[in-house]
Order: sequence, then C-alpha cells, then structure tokens
Amino acid sequence: MSALIIRPPSLTGGRRRDDDVTRLLPRPLLVTVIVALLLVVLGPVAYMVLASLNSDIGVAAGEIWPREWHPSNYLHVWSTVALGRGLANSLIICGAVAVVCALVSVSAAYVLVRYAFRGRLTVLRGLLGLQSIPGTLMLLPVFVLFASASTLLGIPTIGTRWAVFLTYLTFALPFSTWVMVTYVRGLPRELEEAARIDGASSWRVLTRIIVPLSWPGIVVSAIFAFLLGWNDVLFASVMTNPETRTAAVALQVFGATQETGALPLYGQMMAASLICAVPVVVLYLVFQRYLVGGLTAGGVK
Amino acid sequence: MKARNAMGALAGIAVVGLALAGCSGSDSPASSSSPAGSATAAKIDGTGKTVHVMIAANGLYPEQQKTWFGEVSDKFKAETGATVEFETFASANDELTKIQTSVLSGQGPDVYSLGTTFTPTAYATGAFMTLGDAEWAQVGGRDKFVPSTLGISGPDEKNEIAVPFASRPFVMAYNKDLLAAAGITDLPTTWDELTDDAKKLTTGDVHGLAIGYADGFDPWKFIWGMSIQAGNPILNLEDGKAQIDVDPTQTAYQTYFDWYSKDKVVDPAALGWKNAQAVAAFADGKAGFVPMVSATSRVTLDKSAVAGKYAYALMPTVPPGMTTNPGDGKPATSIISGDNMVVAKYSKNQDLALALINMLTSTENQTSYNKTFGDLPTNQEAATAIQTGDELLKPVLESSAGAIGTPFSGAWGDTQLALTNVVVQALPALQAGGVSESDLKAALQTAQSTAQASLDKAK
Amino acid sequence: MLAPSGFLMFFVILVPLALAFYISVIDLDQYTIQHWLKAPFVGLQNYVEAINDTSLLHAVRLSVSQALLVSLITMPIGIAAALATQNAFRGRAVVRSVFLVPYILPAFVVATVWRTMMHPQGLLDHVVGSVGIDVGLWLNGPTSFWSLVLVQSWSSWPFYYLLVLAGLQSVDKEVHEASALDGALWWTKLRYVVLPYLRGSILLALVISFLHNVNAFTLPYVLFGVPAPHDVEVLPVLTYVTSFQSFRFGLSAAMAVVSLALVVVPLFLYLRAVRLDSGEDRVRR
Repeated sequence: MSALIIRPPSLTGGRRRDDDVTRLLPRPLLVTVIVALLLVVLGPVAYMVLASLNSDIGVAAGEIWPREWHPSNYLHVWSTVALGRGLANSLIICGAVAVVCALVSVSAAYVLVRYAFRGRLTVLRGLLGLQSIPGTLMLLPVFVLFASASTLLGIPTIGTRWAVFLTYLTFALPFSTWVMVTYVRGLPRELEEAARIDGASSWRVLTRIIVPLSWPGIVVSAIFAFLLGWNDVLFASVMTNPETRTAAVALQVFGATQETGALPLYGQMMAASLICAVPVVVLYLVFQRYLVGGLTAGGVK
Repeated sequence: MKARNAMGALAGIAVVGLALAGCSGSDSPASSSSPAGSATAAKIDGTGKTVHVMIAANGLYPEQQKTWFGEVSDKFKAETGATVEFETFASANDELTKIQTSVLSGQGPDVYSLGTTFTPTAYATGAFMTLGDAEWAQVGGRDKFVPSTLGISGPDEKNEIAVPFASRPFVMAYNKDLLAAAGITDLPTTWDELTDDAKKLTTGDVHGLAIGYADGFDPWKFIWGMSIQAGNPILNLEDGKAQIDVDPTQTAYQTYFDWYSKDKVVDPAALGWKNAQAVAAFADGKAGFVPMVSATSRVTLDKSAVAGKYAYALMPTVPPGMTTNPGDGKPATSIISGDNMVVAKYSKNQDLALALINMLTSTENQTSYNKTFGDLPTNQEAATAIQTGDELLKPVLESSAGAIGTPFSGAWGDTQLALTNVVVQALPALQAGGVSESDLKAALQTAQSTAQASLDKAK
Repeated sequence: MLAPSGFLMFFVILVPLALAFYISVIDLDQYTIQHWLKAPFVGLQNYVEAINDTSLLHAVRLSVSQALLVSLITMPIGIAAALATQNAFRGRAVVRSVFLVPYILPAFVVATVWRTMMHPQGLLDHVVGSVGIDVGLWLNGPTSFWSLVLVQSWSSWPFYYLLVLAGLQSVDKEVHEASALDGALWWTKLRYVVLPYLRGSILLALVISFLHNVNAFTLPYVLFGVPAPHDVEVLPVLTYVTSFQSFRFGLSAAMAVVSLALVVVPLFLYLRAVRLDSGEDRVRR
C-alpha cells in the first residue's frame, strides 16, 4: 500500500491557509458572481414556487403573487401522477445507470489514455460522433431492436427497467468516457510509474491509483449519466409501462396540450417539478464534497 | 479477431430478428386470430386473458380515472373472465409514437382510444381492424350511437375502423352579466352579429372576445368552421383538390385577424395566448364571449369568478359577411370532437376487445362516464336522457348533433398544420397593425401547396 | 476493458443507426408503415426533397447559430460559477446545489415557466418596460430567436459549471502555491496557470454543449409550440413535425441524417484543430 501513496514534495515549507493560496477570484468579484448567478437562477425558480401555490386560473392569467393560496397542490400531485412510484423508478434506473456508467467509463478512459493502440483516435472521435445523433432518429429503431430481441430470445424487454437501463447506459457512455478521458489525461504519470516498478498489475493501478485520484471526474460523469436518464421522456415514454414509468414521463401528463377548453393543472405541474428536483439536489449536496480536494488529497486517502 | 467474428454473427442475428419482427407485424390480419363476428350474443370466455387498452390520461380527473379503470376491469372480469389493463398517454404525439412502435414491432395494446381528428391517420396506417356488419353487431350495432358521432369513423360506411366513445363538441361560453349590461338580449347566430356584439361589450379592460391566437389548434378550427359554413370543406376529396387559397377561406382569416387589428374586440395580449389563457381571461370576468371551448371548461369556470354567471351557446353557424348559409354551405356547429376506439389488427384478443368496447358504450356506462368526466355520451339513449336533465349542457348536445367531421384523409394532419401556420406566421404583422391582403394571399398560397402536396400523396 | 461499452454501443446505437439510415432511403409514411419492410425503396429522393422542398437548410442555419451562441454565452458564466465556488465559504454546498437547479428542471417546465413570463404584458415585459424598453412579441417574430437563446442559456449553463468544477480539481496545489510565491495577480494566475489546466474540460464542454443545443427539442417545442414561428423553426422541431404531424418518417430520417452530416464534419475538423482527441498538447508540455 504505502508504496503507492507518494505525496509529491511540497514546495513551501509552512502550512498556509488553503483558502488564501488556492483562491482564484478576488473577493469582490467572487461575491458579485455568486450573487448575480443566484439572482438569475432563483428569479424564475421563485416564480415557480409562487405558481406552485397558486390556482390554475391565477397562473393562466399571469398572476405573480397569488390572490388565492393553494398549498394543497403539493398534496394532490402525489395521486394525480403516481409521483411516488415514478420517483422510485427514476431513482433506481438512473442510480444504476450512474454507478455502472461511471465504473465502465473510468476503465475505458484509462485504456484509451494509457495504452497506445491502433484505432484509438477513431474510437475517441467515434464516441463524439455518437453523441451527435439526434434522439428522435433513434427512437423507432431502438424500440424495434428491443422488441425483436424479446421475440427472438423469449425474454421480456419492452416495459422492463432493464431495457430502459441499458438504453440510458449506452447513450450516457460516450460522453462519460470523454469526461473521464479528459480527466485521466491530466493525472500525473509518476504515481503509476512508481506502482509499475513495484510490479502492480494494470487492474491494481486502475483501482488503487486512477480511481481514487479521479473522484471529481467520476462524480461529474455519474451526475451527467444520472441526469440524462432523469430528464429523458422520449425513450421512457415508449419503453416503460405504468409499473416502470419514470418521474419525467409521469410529469409529462401536465405538459400535454389540453385541447378541451379546460385549464392545465399549472399549480400541480410546478409543484411536481419542484418535488422532482429535490432528490437530485439532495444527492448533489451529498456528493459534492467529492468535488473538493484535488490530487494530493486523493492520493493521501 | 475472434471478437470481431462474434460481433458479425450477432449483427446477423439482430438483422434476422428485425426482419422476423417486421414479418409477424405485417402478416397477421384479423382473420388469423378469430372467426370474427360469428357470435354476437354468445358469451366470450376470456379467462386468463388480458386486454390492453391505451387511453388518454385525464389531466382534470386523474383520481376518478384511476377508479374508473378499476371498475371497468372488475366489471369486464365478471362478464368475460378477462382482465383489462389500461395504459395512459399524455398527448396525441405520445400516442402516435406508441402506435408507430407497436405497428412496426407487431406488439402492443389491443385497443386504442384516439382523438377524432387523428382517426384518418390511424386509418391510413391500415393497422386497425375494419368493422364489418358482424363487428358492428359485436359492439351493439351502429344504431346504438348518436348519428353525428359516427361521422369520422371511416372514409365511408363500408370502411369504418372507429367506434365513437366520447363526444366533446365545441361551443362558446358567454358572460350573462356582461351581455345584460351591454343590452344584448339575443345570442348571435352569425359571425357578423358576434363581432357586433363583441364591439358593444368592449369597454376598459373588458373585451368582447377571448381568443387564443397562439394556440396550436384553435386557429384551424375557426377557419375550417367558417369555411365549411360557406361551402368550402378545405379538402375536396372527390376531386383530390385542396381549396385553401379561395375567397371564403380568405374571408375567414380576415375576420379572425380583424377582431384583433380592426374591430379591437380582443385583449392586445391575446396574441400570446393559448386556449387556456383565453379561458382564464373569461373566467376572470374580462371577456364577454369565449368561443371554441368544450363542456370540460365547466370544471374551470365553476371554480372561478364567473361561476353561476355564465352559460354555453352554439357558435355562429352563418359564415362572415353573410346572413344565411349559401346553397352548398353547411351550418356546422363544431368539428366532430371527442374520442374513438379502434382495435389493432395485430391483437390476438379481437373478440374480447370488441366485447369491451360494447360494454364501455352501453347506456349505463356512458351515463356514468358523463357524470364523472363531463364528456358527452355517444350512446343515443344516454344522450337523450341527459338532454332532458341538464339545462347548461343543452347547447353542447345540440352542438354534438350539428357537428361535422373534418375531411377523412391522411392529408388532414398536414392540412390543419398548414392552416394554423398561416396564423402563426402572421402574428408579428398583426401586432404591427394588421395583415395586408397581399401577404395573406401569399400565405394562403403556401398553405395551399402544402396541403395539395400532402393530398397528392394520400392513398 | 473496452469490450462491454463497445458491445452495448454496437447494439443500442450502431445497429439502430443503420436501421435509421435504411429508413431514410425508403418511402416510409403513414400509408406504408404497417408493411414497412415492403415500403418502396426511393434511393436519395428523400434527401433531394429535404434539401429542395423543405425549410431544412434554414432550420440547420438557425439551429447551428443558436447552438453556437448559447455555447459561447454560457461558457464564461459556467467558468465563473465554478471558479467562484472553488473555495470553501459558509453555505457553499447550498450555493453549489442551487446552481444545478436550472439543469435539473424538466425542459418542458422550464419552457412553460418562461413562456408565461414572456407573454405579452407578462412579467418580462414589466421588467424591461420599467427601464423603458418595448421588445414587442417575445415568442414570435425576430425577437423570438433571442428569446430561445436566452432560455436555452439559462437552462444549460450549469453544464460548463460542472465540467469545469471537476477540471479545477486536477490543478496541483503546488501550482497554486508556486504562483502565490511569485506574487502573481489573480488574473495572471488564472490566465497563465489555471486555465491551461482547464483547457481539455472547456473544449470538451464546448463540443458537447453545442451538440446538446443543436439537438434540443423539448424546450423550443414547448416555448413556441407547433407550427413554430419561422424565426425559431429549429431542426429538431422540423424533423419532429415532419415525423409526427406530416407522418413522413422516411423524409424525417433523411433530414436527421443530413443534419448529422452537417454537424459531424465541422465537429471533426474542430477536434483536429484543437487536438482534443489526441491530447497532444498535454504530452508536449
């Protein structure tokens, strides 16, 4: 173990406060940026919060401050769209996608960065090429593929969480791999080389050095993989059934055009969207501490 | 290298698989699954089977809809032993995707509930069962239904695919207090009268009409309605000709635009409104009339500032600029609007599916469906019963009886889009003061060629 | 170690993509879909029609300029946000999470909210009206293009923020310390010391953000509705309408393929120019 943990010698003798050394923006600018962005983000969000407490007529009429308060929107929404089950499905599917995607992409990236083999560039470019395929082009073919797999192999696909999981995982992989490639490239080779001299296998290098050093990259690519599934309605709307429906698809009901002369349930729609944002924000709150520290901290652990 | 060979083999399998799925999807006509229609009265034994139904999610009564799903399933189980499983879709587009994917792969729901204007497209796919005499008998016979609701079940009586399930015709709502204050005693029956009344009603921040100019559907309904009332069905299916760049239709557009720019009887903000905002303005007591609403608007209006102060009326049936319908003009009260049910050709439970539709369109079920969801019955007996019971709904039922179907052609989707597009692209000019006649003519020509091209492709 | 990803991508992306190419050369529409394997082969006819008879090129131009603008506008915002939340302060965890919110909200909700705010005489009109500006219609006419850019930027800037935040962690602490010893100004340090570390992340974010915006469908669809005003009839909306309102699946697939080609070629030129794919600059340094 100890051989693998080499802390680069520090250039400075004394311990200065991290804050001073690593600060990137002068304080006034930092405060300005944060306050301005908070305003820009929270303005529309505040409007959403108010709308989620308003009556549907009030929202449709363009009221900002509700004349009547309808906190009951937050109660009704659970039965209107089976939000509970939707959230559970989304969390299961997207959570699995995030974890698997991060693991697969970090190892793929390691191979792509550290091993010179023919076709390496083609693979990298191809991955970005895949990223540029519009989803609407792929919807029908992907569905047909899964449907024929089910006819052919006699296993249920359409309507299962597995099918959705595999679809999201595949679409998340190219991008996540690229994120990891950029990240792993930036890692110093010294630690690895030292480990190699000690006779460590590739696998050991990957699990003991690359992964611990790459936490920020892994967390970010997991977040992207998670959000890809979380926000998708295109594939989920045809590949799920009522049992396996994700929250985004359940919410879609609110977005449906009401052709009938009655008002959409604006209040509940806003309430539902805010409720659905909460799990992601909480997850991020938990994981964002892995976005701190950087190289040396990673090496010490 | 080994890996590459394996990949190749797998790819081969996948392609074969696709081909197989395609074949099974295309080669399973109605006849293969059952001797259709042999038994009208004979009890169908569906024990252990499941009928899958695809139906629009009801955004207004989600909980009631869930209860209703349960009730239907229980009842059907008692009758046939089969279970019913409902699946909901959020919008027509979702449903189309579902139909597409199901048709391509040959697996999916047995029964679909379709919006009426979408029925011609569903027909064009050829993926749904044609209803012959035997099949109609299985759902209780054509006579069971309100005649006008059958108007968009197929291109002609021999080739129908759709059973009417719910009717949602359009009417206009008016504010009784505002009309009385303006001294309007008789409801307008021509579009010109409506415009005149609207002028009388417009004072301060109250406007005569509430119109959703930015709606994705409303504009074409106005234009189609005014056109057919003047004798122009927009698509002349007999001659295979689109008729958009013609006088009656141009007048319709002009009337629709003039409300905003010349008569000034609508709120200036209406250029950004969808139907929902127009209804909200009316609900707020800020408009005398709101045309193009259905009976479901009751849910909104009864909770609003105009509760108890509004009523429904037929929209005018005499085209703009005229006092009576011309010879070939039809006094259409509305498009035929609502939901139809169709059975998929690939379904392996067609007899059960028809039995289910028969049950859903029974007098008893239609009456209770109307009570719960507000949609009008397509079942004649149930409709007659309501007519005598509910004063507010009377005009809506009248509208249902006087409704006319949009042209039954696969080209209609494109045509309605082209009609709406004329309005969408004209909005900036409308805001700047008005749409000039030459611009309008040019726009109509574009719409004309789009619709004609689509009609030429129709089979 | 590449095998599992390769396998998945082959089956879930490449095989369907081949099928999509096939669809683009047959006359698949509402009339032929049921017997789609027998749909007539029309060669390049769909492509010819897409380019000659539809507003495809206009749509591509709109989509590309919109995507480029949004990607360039959100870049400095995302970088600034990442730099500002790099160092610990009280409540940083919360601020970091709040910054993520626009990116998590479903696109149709973002679009609905902004649509309401952009209504004539709506919230936005009041805000800009208070400083004496009359924009006219936000959601139709020439302004609508900028409305699209504005809303798209609002909802997508956290993307840069996340990627740059991760990139910042790969900056060695010794580098910070060294530049502190040099007494470098914050701007000099940022420009010559920190940004080079972020180069890979930022260039990657630019590409992905561009692709993401080119293909964004739900936001313009809900914001402007269908049929879309001419100034915002972006590519995904056009292909969608062709597919789901006109039911010309073959034509729509051809449009998507054309757009794919139009996007992929410049993309590869870009990759080569910035050496993002080979990572050469990193090796030389």
